[in-house]
Amino acid sequence: MCSRCRDGIAGIAILLAASFGCQREQRNLRPEPTGQAMFTPLKGSNPSSGIAYEISEGQRLYTWYNCSGCHANGGGGIGPPLIKTSWIYGGEPAKLFESIAKGRPNGMPAWGDRIPEYQIWQIVAYVRSLNQQEPSSATPKRLDTIETNPQTIRAARARTGK
Amino acid sequence: MSRRRTLPAISALLLSACAGPQQSSLNSAGPQAGHTESLWWVFLGILSLIFIAVLGVMLAALARRHPEFEPASPERTATAADRTGRRLTRAVAAATIATVAILFFLLVASVSTGKTIAGLASPSSSLTIEVTGNQWWWYVRYLDDNPQRIAVTANEIHIPVGRPVQIRGTSQDVIHSFWVPGLNGKRDLIPSHITTEWIQADRPGRLRGQCAEFCGLQHARMALWVVAEPESQFEAWLDRQRQPAVPPSDADTQAGYQVFMSHACVLCHNIAGTPAQGQVAPDLTHLAGRMTIAAGTLPNNKGTLGGWILDPQSVKPGNHMATISLKPGELQPLLDYLGSLQ
Amino acid sequence: MKAAKPALMLALAALSTPRLLAQIQNQPDDGQWTMAAKNYASTRYSTLGQIHTGNASQLKLAWSFSTGTTRGIEAAPLVVNGTMYIVTPYPNVLYALDLARPGAPVKWKYEPHPQPASQGVACCDVVNRGAAYADGKIYFNTLDAQTVAVDANTGREVWKAQLGDIHQGESMTMAPVVAGGVVLVGNSGGEFGVRGWMAGLDAGTGKLLWRAYSTGPDQDVRIGPAFQPFYADHRGKDLGVNTWQGEQWKIGGGSAWGWISYDAELDLFYYGTSNPSPWNPDQRPGDNKWTCTLFARRPRTAEAVWAYQISPHDGHDYDAVNENILLDLTLNGRPRKVLAHPDRNGYVYLIDRATGEVLSANPFVFVNNSQGIDLKTGRLKLVDAKKTGTKTVRDICPAPPGGKDWQPSSFSPQTGWLYIPRNNLCYEMQGTQANYIAGTPYLGAMARMYPGPGGSRGGVSAWDPVAGKAVWKVEEDFPVWSGTAVTAGNVLFYGAMDGWFKALDARTGALLWRFKTGSGIVGQPVIYKGPDGKEYVAILSGVGGWAGAVVSGGLNTVDGTGALGFLNAMAGLPEHTAKGGTLYVFSLP
Repeated sequence: MCSRCRDGIAGIAILLAASFGCQREQRNLRPEPTGQAMFTPLKGSNPSSGIAYEISEGQRLYTWYNCSGCHANGGGGIGPPLIKTSWIYGGEPAKLFESIAKGRPNGMPAWGDRIPEYQIWQIVAYVRSLNQQEPSSATPKRLDTIETNPQTIRAARARTGK
Repeated sequence: MSRRRTLPAISALLLSACAGPQQSSLNSAGPQAGHTESLWWVFLGILSLIFIAVLGVMLAALARRHPEFEPASPERTATAADRTGRRLTRAVAAATIATVAILFFLLVASVSTGKTIAGLASPSSSLTIEVTGNQWWWYVRYLDDNPQRIAVTANEIHIPVGRPVQIRGTSQDVIHSFWVPGLNGKRDLIPSHITTEWIQADRPGRLRGQCAEFCGLQHARMALWVVAEPESQFEAWLDRQRQPAVPPSDADTQAGYQVFMSHACVLCHNIAGTPAQGQVAPDLTHLAGRMTIAAGTLPNNKGTLGGWILDPQSVKPGNHMATISLKPGELQPLLDYLGSLQ
Repeated sequence: MKAAKPALMLALAALSTPRLLAQIQNQPDDGQWTMAAKNYASTRYSTLGQIHTGNASQLKLAWSFSTGTTRGIEAAPLVVNGTMYIVTPYPNVLYALDLARPGAPVKWKYEPHPQPASQGVACCDVVNRGAAYADGKIYFNTLDAQTVAVDANTGREVWKAQLGDIHQGESMTMAPVVAGGVVLVGNSGGEFGVRGWMAGLDAGTGKLLWRAYSTGPDQDVRIGPAFQPFYADHRGKDLGVNTWQGEQWKIGGGSAWGWISYDAELDLFYYGTSNPSPWNPDQRPGDNKWTCTLFARRPRTAEAVWAYQISPHDGHDYDAVNENILLDLTLNGRPRKVLAHPDRNGYVYLIDRATGEVLSANPFVFVNNSQGIDLKTGRLKLVDAKKTGTKTVRDICPAPPGGKDWQPSSFSPQTGWLYIPRNNLCYEMQGTQANYIAGTPYLGAMARMYPGPGGSRGGVSAWDPVAGKAVWKVEEDFPVWSGTAVTAGNVLFYGAMDGWFKALDARTGALLWRFKTGSGIVGQPVIYKGPDGKEYVAILSGVGGWAGAVVSGGLNTVDGTGALGFLNAMAGLPEHTAKGGTLYVFSLP
């Protein structure tokens, strides 16, 4: 093959490879100012889904807004776990949005009159990512705290025999 | 101005134009930065001389005439070659010895400056300020053995003139670096570690510092102001920082107070004495007394504060302040309330 | 604190006389169980002797009753006038069972209908630790911070008082105590940044007589001229403010969710306050008074007579709310009126209950984050390497549930020993920044617990308070999260989290009998005399509480930091027990 052709093909291949990250690497830093998130929009899918920046913002807000206080890092405690297959009120993004915005009867507070809508979507995306419902290339690394100290795992397994 | 001072003054002026005289190592306000600045001048002087000397020798070498080539008797060529060779050997040897000597001198100067600066650390400190780097602002806490005398603020540090101050640094998230060029060098702020640095201001004034370790999207807009003031003014300022927030006094500020308490503001910000006790964002208890907002990004006045609250992402894209929506008629009272928080 | 041998003999001799029995039990024992702790001295000791070490092995199930709930049941059933009273976990239904009729059918039930949202501010399962009977009424608390008085015969509500606000993170889980016509109740919420308090209500009308806060100015804490703390660093004006940074005392914790004892002679009631908020101590410099503090107050006015802060500037969630068993002991040749307090921090404290002086503090579990108490200053001697803060510290013992959490001990005047249900857990903690949002947890910490040295996660110890050490120990796989109760027949009862309800010989620890109930046990056993004159033992079975949250809350063990760190240590529990909610009553055939 002629050297120029090879260069051309290499160039196209690089461009193609670079474009695969386009969706994942979007950053919309200035969301449209919207009204307070009182109602579930149910308009299409989660705008934050699949975008690495949005999901990592969701990770930050999950701790800032004390979701971790009741739900720990997904295991639950005061509140139910968020890493699970059967959801009390539904695990689809719209249902998760509703749970956060309007609250739920048995102790989930309503956040919709304080947290802006775009941030709730970011938290929804993060919770979905905890359950591997987001592309793994856009999912943030788990916090160090979920990775248990090997000594701890060994001690716990020695106790429970598993 | 005397001739002795002209050249350094011009150089200083030219160089400090880059960041303003408030954020310049050549405009030192205290002993630590003073030693660093002196070392800098020593280096500049010596290395300039060397530069000129080397340039001179190079030009001289270029300008030397080469005699035309002509066959000469072997004895004459050999003697000439020997003579040249001996001269060259002597020259190179002399230059090498000179270089080593100068480098050694510069090494001694650097080490001794470092030791002197380290020696300025007092064994006990009368003032310790805890600085915690966050993305992209500075959490400041004035420590005291008596917990009721602890004061918390953000992005602006006041220090008394003439007193050594210890900065205890750490970080909430990624590695930042505390750097006020007019006072001392850079000190990294590392999560889960404490790093310390000593500063002292010998004259009153305002000095600007900034984060010196890349820390994310808005690393470039993470500045901090250090205000050095006489002891009595400093004590008065610190005492005011310890007080809870001024309660809203009229209908307008009352309305603004209600706006603050009913929006997302309370999820992150702290105003002492009110139900807003969030810890993850700058403390707003005495916001109105600060010179800047958003970590030195904007001067602090009603116009900039209003724009910041309405659209923080266009001022400092990617920063962690939420874009909240306010109804018409909510912004003005909110600004009035925040403006009352002296 | 080591007692000389002759003193020990003397103490044992003194303890086994009937005269001392009367001294330490402030109420006549008629085979009833009128308050969760059995009596004001909190001994949980029954004078019934029909069941004893010789025949305990023959115990049989007499009848059972399903409460209809599936969350953790930590309550003690009450037995008064031939009726048994049970308070369930949320929704806090009060059942009255007629013991005179076969099968103990339901006489009436009272449903307080607490707000469902209160389930979101219960740190450690939606439990309730029981009711109290006085003057023809049953008093108990609901999860949404109300105290209710119900007529014991008819089940009609007499009064109801709303005392706390769940939107500020407050709830109530403790069992009230009625002393001198005052209903003593306290809030929960040390994990939510509440301001802790104990309140006194008029038993007849429910009117709020006083509220004594655990933090803040002396006026709010009810510290006045009567206050004579034993230790110098407890004296000073407004320590409830001055030992905090800024206004942090307003969200400083110190809730009073635990046990209350009462000395009618001294007219003092004793209780402890919870941990300070948040868990991360770096955010709240200072001693943080009066959290983790034992108070002695007068029931009618709440004025504090003495206080002792067990864990100043606590960094391990060592609430001081555990039981205070009132004992009259002879120590070093002198008779002393003491209280025995096995604390979360791993020490059994003997404290002079008139003055607040610490007489001894000996570890009853493995402790590596402190090295005893300086008896001159009263301060806990902390180990620097195990101090928590905004950093990661590993291998800290004991873990936040402590050497023992709320699960109450009992005391037998026959043996002179305490029977302490304990945990054996260590943990690691990563302190993070705590953000305060009212009504949500205010923690600033991720923790992971694991079994302590030896590998078992709990057990029961028989503890000699005078000698300051254990006489015998029994180990259990899981933490013993149930209370103990002991009888004059020298039978000790307790339940294990895998569902086994056990009877041990109180003198030797030998297992006399056991019965596998339907679910793990985290409740309190009671012993009573039925209308037919027979002795019965009752226990509520239904796993939960903080230790059992993995089952009762359906949590996911992939995340070891769940349930405030307990998930890491209790991953195997679901294989041993599922949820439940049944009362079991046993007797001899």
